[in-house]
Amino acid sequence: MKKLLYILFSASLFITACDKDSTTSADKTTASGNTGQGGSLARFTTAADHMYIVDDRKLYTYSLLDEKRPQLKGSIDVGFSIETIYAYKDKLFVGSSSAMYIYSISNPAQPVKLGQATHVRACDPVIANDSLAYVTVRGGTRCGGTTNALMVYDVKYITQPLLRKTVNMESPYGLGMTGNRLYVCNGSNGLNVYDITDPVNPILKKQLAGGTFYDVIIIDNLMIAMIEGGTALYELKANDEISLAAKIVN
Amino acid sequence: MTIFSTVFVLAFLPLLLGMVNKLKNSNTISYCMKRTSLSAWLLPVLAITLASCDPFGTRRTQPEPEPIPAEVDGWAPVYSKDADITTIKSLPPQNIVKGGKIYIKGDTLYQVESGKGIHVILIKQPANPQKIAFISVTGAQELAIKNATLYTNNLNDLVVLDIAKIDSVKVADRISNVFKMVDATRPPGTGYFECVDNSKGTVVGWEQKLLKYPKCRN
Repeated sequence: MKKLLYILFSASLFITACDKDSTTSADKTTASGNTGQGGSLARFTTAADHMYIVDDRKLYTYSLLDEKRPQLKGSIDVGFSIETIYAYKDKLFVGSSSAMYIYSISNPAQPVKLGQATHVRACDPVIANDSLAYVTVRGGTRCGGTTNALMVYDVKYITQPLLRKTVNMESPYGLGMTGNRLYVCNGSNGLNVYDITDPVNPILKKQLAGGTFYDVIIIDNLMIAMIEGGTALYELKANDEISLAAKIVN
Repeated sequence: MTIFSTVFVLAFLPLLLGMVNKLKNSNTISYCMKRTSLSAWLLPVLAITLASCDPFGTRRTQPEPEPIPAEVDGWAPVYSKDADITTIKSLPPQNIVKGGKIYIKGDTLYQVESGKGIHVILIKQPANPQKIAFISVTGAQELAIKNATLYTNNLNDLVVLDIAKIDSVKVADRISNVFKMVDATRPPGTGYFECVDNSKGTVVGWEQKLLKYPKCRN
């Protein structure tokens, strides 16, 4: 039982970690060395002593071996309307307004494209673990398209991501996960909490009101939410209880 | 329109078939006359049918112009009137006005102030967050941190900041014009946007905004 708990705990750490060398609970307070963690809407991310940046069309790779003097290792044309980048282990997940692209960073200095999944035109941050990628697509005039949904892609066969599930939402933005819970910002409709015990079949457990939610970062039991006007800090407790610790809005 | 033309053709079908039957039964003397009357019938039917089908798609290339919406989710430029947009410095804590992207390193939360800089907030006690500084960076939208080095965008330059002393950050490196983080002419997404007015300053970023009767569209 202890072993199982340990495995679950380690797994949750991996899933929560944005970067390969991101902070864990152990070094969270010490903040010694390495990198921090961004949200799912980020265009900058770090992994394995490298920084990856996406602009509208390209992916730029910088070596941070000399952290004060980043060295450009190369740039790759990815597509159009690129919006987000997310690193998980030796992979990069790039979200554009029409597709999700997956790159291998087995060689961190030279990302290599593995696969892509094209979806309807909409905004789309991505987060992922070993076998699945969760993508939100948001329609509306700004992003194009009319689909508002959480999409679950099977990425076991990384060259051919397979759409397994579409969960309709109102106005999804950024997302984060920890353990068997997926937290999806739903704009002015709050924040949705899904049970992902069955990872391809997210089940809505709770809807949190009290703000317009755009993105979340989850570290252990602390959820940091980018909301309209600033940030909100929540403590994640047992039985999906989410208690507001503070709002920083001025 | 398609349904209409189908119905139209079907209605004429018996008539056409009748003509052809008549044609088959007729003798050679009346043949010329019959052919004339057949063409006379066929031509308008064909003309109407083809016109209904719109075979060259001419109408589809001219969609009805969409009316400008009274209120719509879109983009608006963020302006700066600062003379020197490349100056980066630590300032005392500032109010969060247009809170942007968030980043966590250790016990510190960094939140971008869209187009203006980065708020530095201690969250060791989540119930009692403390703003400790503001790093002024024109055009800032993004950030990442390794050790005590912060990477952000100063408009379209990648800047490397030494944040070991948060109240006196120093620029360690600058890589100019490497990417296009901020387009001063149009927003980083499709849809409506508030037209750029250069008299208001340099465009240092774009923010999402509820727009009223926007005149520009990407």
